[in-house]
Amino acid sequence: MSDQHRAVIERTTRAQLMARLRIGILAAGTGGLLLLSLPNMLRDWERYESAWAQACAFAMLAAVLCVEAVLVFRGRLAPVRWQWAAIGTVVTASVLSYAALPYGHAATAGDWIFGQANWVGLAPLVGRPLPVPLAFLALHWGIALTSMLLNTAADRATVLRFATGSIGVIGYPLCMAVTAAAFRGIARSAAAAKWQTEQVAVVEAAAVESHQRRRQRFADLDLSMVPLLEGLATGRLDPTDRGVQHDCAIEAARMRRLFAEVDVVPNRLLHELRHCADVADRKGVLVELDTRGQWPELPPPVRRDLTEAPLTVLATAASWARVTVVGGPDLVCVNVLADCGPVDLPRPVTPQVRLDTFRSEEQLWVEVRWQADASPR
Amino acid sequence: MGGSALAGGRITAVIVDDHAAIAAGVRYWCEQARPTIELIDARARMANVWTGPGAGADVVIFDLELVPKNPAFGELRRLADYGRRVVVYSQHSDSPTVLKCVNLGALAYLTKTEGPEHLVPAIRAAAAGRPYTAPSLGGALAGDDDPGRPRISHREAEVLRAWFAASSKELVAARLRISVKTVDTHIERVRIKYANVGRAARTKSDLVTRALHDGLITLDELGAAPDPVS
Repeated sequence: MSDQHRAVIERTTRAQLMARLRIGILAAGTGGLLLLSLPNMLRDWERYESAWAQACAFAMLAAVLCVEAVLVFRGRLAPVRWQWAAIGTVVTASVLSYAALPYGHAATAGDWIFGQANWVGLAPLVGRPLPVPLAFLALHWGIALTSMLLNTAADRATVLRFATGSIGVIGYPLCMAVTAAAFRGIARSAAAAKWQTEQVAVVEAAAVESHQRRRQRFADLDLSMVPLLEGLATGRLDPTDRGVQHDCAIEAARMRRLFAEVDVVPNRLLHELRHCADVADRKGVLVELDTRGQWPELPPPVRRDLTEAPLTVLATAASWARVTVVGGPDLVCVNVLADCGPVDLPRPVTPQVRLDTFRSEEQLWVEVRWQADASPR
Repeated sequence: MGGSALAGGRITAVIVDDHAAIAAGVRYWCEQARPTIELIDARARMANVWTGPGAGADVVIFDLELVPKNPAFGELRRLADYGRRVVVYSQHSDSPTVLKCVNLGALAYLTKTEGPEHLVPAIRAAAAGRPYTAPSLGGALAGDDDPGRPRISHREAEVLRAWFAASSKELVAARLRISVKTVDTHIERVRIKYANVGRAARTKSDLVTRALHDGLITLDELGAAPDPVS
């Protein structure tokens, strides 16, 4: 669970929450463009100094809305680079439109861009901190004001017209910008809540898994260890009996291996074998452990198969044992030679592991071999 | 060199080891051996291997680490190049060191956990110009995954692993249902293959030439044709 993942959660949550607001602003922008701006522009078409400049400005705004629409319907937040490009396009369109407005036309119906560029520019800025849309609206209003002052007589009627127009042009988008800013805070806390929920779910899943692993490990012990302990507790088994002592030594070695299995070490097989050998060592058995070669990390069931027979032999050895491991990329051989009496060796569970035993008088020689391709030799 | 051994006389060996106890122990083993082996103590000085009575010894028993943490590979190379028959007797058991000594031309490599049951036969084999492979060296050869290693057959690898595991050729022979002589042949063939890919030294050419002459191995087996197994 990285910071990157957290950022992704926050982005998607914000995109989901902002989607409806963005659709609303997009609809306002598109509706205004087609139902108000277009008829106004066409009505004054003949009176513009350059009608094509107006058409060009209109096309630029339409293009910004189109890109924004694509982003909204794909459920993506507007990337910052796109936001700057969109604002640049909207401002350019405004300047172009005002430059082509004949004298005295500012703040009339023919000044279509005044009531239009504000919505188009606001659309990609939804989700940005409040000062950003405010600055854009101020810039837009500033351009319109400059145009009005430079390009009209700025008489009382014009200024009043501009002032009343400004209420709608700045007021309504401002309401939307404030709402969007409030949404931004909500989106952030929603994302944080979602992140926490996910964290809890992950911790829970990990706990369930480790619980299951523990249960599995206890189940493995249950089969052999619990009857032994129960036997000793009830007096059914005699601790002075050699067979019982052997069984206890084997179970002790299994437990040692179980504890060693969770250790994080470079060579797990050797680590586990050393723990098995240690049990024999503590009984006073002289253990030699010699290894040659290098082998890949083996999965736990294979390691268990490779250590199970050596563990049994080591636990029942009378006075000495020699353990050798020779490994390569696709073959690992564990050999144990020891002076031990008859033992019952469990068969390997994984098909890639083979067990061979050879007895010569008092010596028992066991070879457990793992072969990567599992081809029988 | 080696004249006395070839003539059927007593084998002489010179030991270079900075631990007096090792030299004394080896002397005891040599005296107990039948027939006895005459041991000259070079008292940890290489000069005594090249001059004086040590110069005529059939076998050099060489402690690789006369200077701590600085294995004397250069000295070993000079000895092998000069045709001296070297048994390395070292506390190192790591495969790279073992394999490097074999590559440089040592006829035997024994770790100091390996006692007279391996050192005495190793001295005898070396005196006759033959390699000796102790279990630890057998394990190193079996676990060798160097790309430049020679191809060894499945059976040879199996014998090496068993020899490393059991330290007893009788046990290996009994388990694999072959004769002790066959066990020896497999192990020696591996050594010849290693000698053949090792650096050129007089001991190497002697070894390979005799192995070919004795029919222990054929030119094809030494050549590029790899074994189709393992």
